[in-house]
Amino acid sequence: MEAELLNHNKPFEIKDKLRLVLVGNPNSGKSTLFNALTGLNQRIGNFPGVTVEKKIGQSKISDNLKAEVIDLPGTYSLSPRSEDEKVTFDYLNDSERTDLPELIVVVADASNLKRNLLLATQLIDSEQPTILVLNMMDVVQRNKQEINVELLEKELGIPVIPMNARLSKGVEELKEKITTYNYKKATKFIENHESKDALDNTIVRFDKIKKIIAKTLVSEGQSPIAKLTRKIDNVLTHSVWGFVIFLIILFLIFQAIFSWSAYPMDWIENGFLVFGNWLGDTLPQGVLNDLLVDGILAGLGGIVIFIPQIAMLFMFIAILEDSGYLSRVSYLTDTLLKRFGLNGRSIIPLLGGAACAVPAIMSARTISNKKERLLTIFVTPLISCSARIPVYTLLIALVIPADKQMAGFNLQGVVMMGLYLLGFAAALVTALAMKYWVKSTERSHFIMELPIYRMPRWRNVGFTILNKVKVFLFEAGKIIIAVSIVLWVLSSYGPGNEMAQVEQKYEAIKADPNKELSISEDQIASEKLEVSYAGHIGKFIEPAIRPLGFDWKIGIAVITSFAAREVFVGTMATLYSVGDAENTASIKEKMDRAVNPTTGEKVYTKATGYSLLVFYAFALQCMATVAIVVKETGGWKWPILQLIYMGALAYFSSLLVYSIFA
Amino acid sequence: MGDILTLADCKAGQVVSLKKVNDRQLTIQLYSMGCILGETIRVERIAPFGDPMIINIEDSFISLRRDDAKKMEISNI
Repeated sequence: MEAELLNHNKPFEIKDKLRLVLVGNPNSGKSTLFNALTGLNQRIGNFPGVTVEKKIGQSKISDNLKAEVIDLPGTYSLSPRSEDEKVTFDYLNDSERTDLPELIVVVADASNLKRNLLLATQLIDSEQPTILVLNMMDVVQRNKQEINVELLEKELGIPVIPMNARLSKGVEELKEKITTYNYKKATKFIENHESKDALDNTIVRFDKIKKIIAKTLVSEGQSPIAKLTRKIDNVLTHSVWGFVIFLIILFLIFQAIFSWSAYPMDWIENGFLVFGNWLGDTLPQGVLNDLLVDGILAGLGGIVIFIPQIAMLFMFIAILEDSGYLSRVSYLTDTLLKRFGLNGRSIIPLLGGAACAVPAIMSARTISNKKERLLTIFVTPLISCSARIPVYTLLIALVIPADKQMAGFNLQGVVMMGLYLLGFAAALVTALAMKYWVKSTERSHFIMELPIYRMPRWRNVGFTILNKVKVFLFEAGKIIIAVSIVLWVLSSYGPGNEMAQVEQKYEAIKADPNKELSISEDQIASEKLEVSYAGHIGKFIEPAIRPLGFDWKIGIAVITSFAAREVFVGTMATLYSVGDAENTASIKEKMDRAVNPTTGEKVYTKATGYSLLVFYAFALQCMATVAIVVKETGGWKWPILQLIYMGALAYFSSLLVYSIFA
Repeated sequence: MGDILTLADCKAGQVVSLKKVNDRQLTIQLYSMGCILGETIRVERIAPFGDPMIINIEDSFISLRRDDAKKMEISNI
């Protein structure tokens, strides 16, 4: 259906500020232009009411003209077919935007002019001030084509700027054009007849576009760029090699993440230790000192250390996406995923889920079939996300010796890979069960553009990493600081005078010359922790988690992890730091030393470690995910089902694992 | 009806012309991606088990499932 935009007929007059709205087909290089215009002055927000990423940035157009730039989700036409495209349509159709004069910048892939001009001409007919950017002029040149820009300008009736956003060529010209922009009502591209079938209007549009292209585009035969893409596809989408290569790429990514990130992680860990000690020595002794060093800093350090891994994971996903490879993975996996009630497009949320479920669930918006989208959203949190990395790394390091090998590979790495596969398998099986349970009559398609292969635009990759890490750090950081403070209070104070009694007991023992003087600070600390509020809470739930091999300290961590999984590490850090006067040991060393006070056995045995790993692989311990699912599914039904389902899956799987290994 | 050819009958490498699309929803999607009647379609490759396929229309590569290809009548050129 060719939907028509309302004609606002706002007076157009630029004073010192305007808003640029970037609109274009997917893969037209919109984001590259957005980055070129705004640089670091950008932020990710949400559109009101929905959660599609809204990228807003500030740009200096000239000395006395500033612009707010909005990057709308890519769309092929003004006939929305997915939620993502609907956002763009709704934004353009919203007549409430009157605070700033607005200029629509249509970004078109010049190497694919016919298809890209459809959207441009629809926007011309909406009679909003519009500029056309012909992006990817480098591809046009390499295809030995030439576009007569002046003639195109005349035919369309709007300004046209040739550009190669990748090299920032044409950006200055665009700015220049904006400063001198004078809105003239363009003649309607086609006369829409209300009575006529909308599809006929599209045909009329394409007829006219074709005529214009015949006049303005000179080309010499088949394009070499498409030939190159075809050659690469012969290998990468091969029925056998395609899959083999995909698995190898995945494996290499995970190996790289764990071996490369080891060094920066060491630096961060040592940095926090040094800083914590310095702060502890410098600040006057007292409650504030304890709270800062043992509470907040310990909790934060536990999370900052994982930024190298998270950044690297986002980097690889961004490279795969930007190079055009990710859409080939969709093509390869569609048949498989279809059988499980999903769609080839689901692979993007599923892979993205390995970084963070929140943006991954948002990226499911490109799936137009409602049932497939719902299933994708439901199973994506089962994919091991980067927040589990801290938990996995810590526990694996704790229960598996670093030098142990399995079939020539580092066993720690194999177990890590196994946890990811476990999550993926659980996601597929869950989807399959839901396929039969959720009813739908809506037809399913897999019509998707596979962009030509390109070198990734490193600047875009950089911005993606920066934005994602920023969101992760601040969103997670906020929760972690809050939880750390609460936890520190709960573990430093206790009900009644139990704490004081423990202290008195040890004072008495110390004062008694007949007793041995070998009582360690650790022993006192752990006994104090046991009588603290946190200890009481942990003890309260201990009967329920005992069968999984968890003690009350783990119980506290499991509870606090419901805010976010990575809190586990912070909690462990805080729980084991309280009382470690010198604060010299890393969390791992402290946990390794932990023994069950009654039996004298190690707390973190292989059975407990594996059980805890499986628990964290399956349980939905992430408030942010719950919140996003509420928004994306428009209610509490699915997130609550998800919470219960994943919780039960985690509990019973851990129970099974613990009884096998114990 | 045996002589009506659809895109699902094509082999990889075949170049055909789109005659008719027997589904309105599908038509809308195809049109917005530049795939209109009379357009030349090259079948690029077909995944194992015949599903999905990649087609090429004027240098854009588009993936398509067999179910949808069955609804697209074509003629040889």
